[in-house]
Amino acid sequence: MFEAHIVKVRRAFTVDVRLRLRQGERLGIFGASGAGKSTVLSCLAGIETPDAGKIDFGSLRLFPPSLPLYRRPLAYLTQNNSLFPHLSVAENVCFGLENHARDGTKTWVEKLKKRLDLGPVWNESARHISGGQARRVALARMLARQPPLVLLDEPFTSLDRHIMHELIDALLEWHAALGFTLIAVDHRAEVLERLCTRAAVIESGLIVQEGSWSALAAAPATLLLARLLAAR
Amino acid sequence: MGMLTFTLVLLYPLSGLLAPVGHWQWNGSIPGSTTSAVRISLVLTGVALMLDVVLGTPVAWYLARHAGRDRIVWEAAVLISVLMPPLALGILLSLAFGPQTLFGAWLLRVGVPTTNSPIAFATTQVYVSVGYYIIAARAALAAVPRDLELIAALLGLKPWDVFRRVTFPLARLGLAAALSIAWVRALGEFGAVIVTAYYPSGMPVQIWVNLQDAGMPAVMPLLVVFLLTALPLPWLIHLLVQRHPADV
Repeated sequence: MFEAHIVKVRRAFTVDVRLRLRQGERLGIFGASGAGKSTVLSCLAGIETPDAGKIDFGSLRLFPPSLPLYRRPLAYLTQNNSLFPHLSVAENVCFGLENHARDGTKTWVEKLKKRLDLGPVWNESARHISGGQARRVALARMLARQPPLVLLDEPFTSLDRHIMHELIDALLEWHAALGFTLIAVDHRAEVLERLCTRAAVIESGLIVQEGSWSALAAAPATLLLARLLAAR
Repeated sequence: MGMLTFTLVLLYPLSGLLAPVGHWQWNGSIPGSTTSAVRISLVLTGVALMLDVVLGTPVAWYLARHAGRDRIVWEAAVLISVLMPPLALGILLSLAFGPQTLFGAWLLRVGVPTTNSPIAFATTQVYVSVGYYIIAARAALAAVPRDLELIAALLGLKPWDVFRRVTFPLARLGLAAALSIAWVRALGEFGAVIVTAYYPSGMPVQIWVNLQDAGMPAVMPLLVVFLLTALPLPWLIHLLVQRHPADV
């Protein structure tokens, strides 16, 4: 079970969000730009420290006190690929694996490499690959450790539709295989609808509606939500 | 054409190496003093640089990554050490650490002579060079995207491993440039060192002594050695940095 209550004071408003997910559940946090989505994810990841609240993942307390990043059993992917430019694609994907090696890690990395078609660039320097390839590498690196919790902060921004759908399909396959809990934020309903079974709608730092996509579409709680869903 | 003229004017002083100053003499009035000065300068500047790296790198890293308001205070303190005129710094070091002070007298009692000793020499070099190292190293470390360090930590690396495997490799050329600046600053220091450590004489002081005692013929060989030890390292590092302007 993943349970979080995050309070983070922002200049324009205070983010105050409660989340509760079962193991393996996929939740999409949906809202307009600047609604506080990324703040929530950043606090969950540990990049930012909440001003108050509590975050528990199973028996592990992530906050408070803030658990060091290196001890957090999660993967975090943002719209910046953040590849290590001084390393090769292979070294990026396997980065940190030596501390988390387990049986089958090598086979798993091979599977990621094949599924994401990284073979042709495997030994290339990370600074010499294209944006689409970089996103695949970031995805492979994120999943190489087989994390039990995956956080996605608009990771498909600036990708063309074809690649985006391909990567989402790959993610869903791996979700089925690994059973990780997934929280994704995006301002595009089509991304989250494809990726997540449940949605939480955020406006000005507060969750204004939560439920299945069909329930949201049938009775949107706010005018802004209605407009965002209509834009699909 | 303008650049060529400017460069020629800039490098014109080097033509002084060809000036007809008479038959060059390796030593001044004291046999062996020039060799000793070269050895002292190289060894003690090496020690000072190690101290610069050990003391200055954590400070530079803190200044590069710390967003608190107090940072401006620490930066101002570092800047003071850089802006201090060397002669004034030498006099202040003598007044603060000299045997006439309680602290200096205590250090002397426990076997640490604070004037005219290798320790005084290296300490003075650290004082004059560490600020330069910190400022340049801070810029190099700040240029490494914070995102990469955070991602590395989330991939399971402890802080030291993040520095070793991400921050340092990406900042290495900038850190090398910082080191070269500190090297030149420490090796060439004259104003402060002549006050705190006239003995053992390093190259700058020995050049001055040779000039006083034996004139230009005794200065020229040491001057050439001085230039050869001071210039190539920073010059090569600068070229390297230009060739690989950013790893990031």
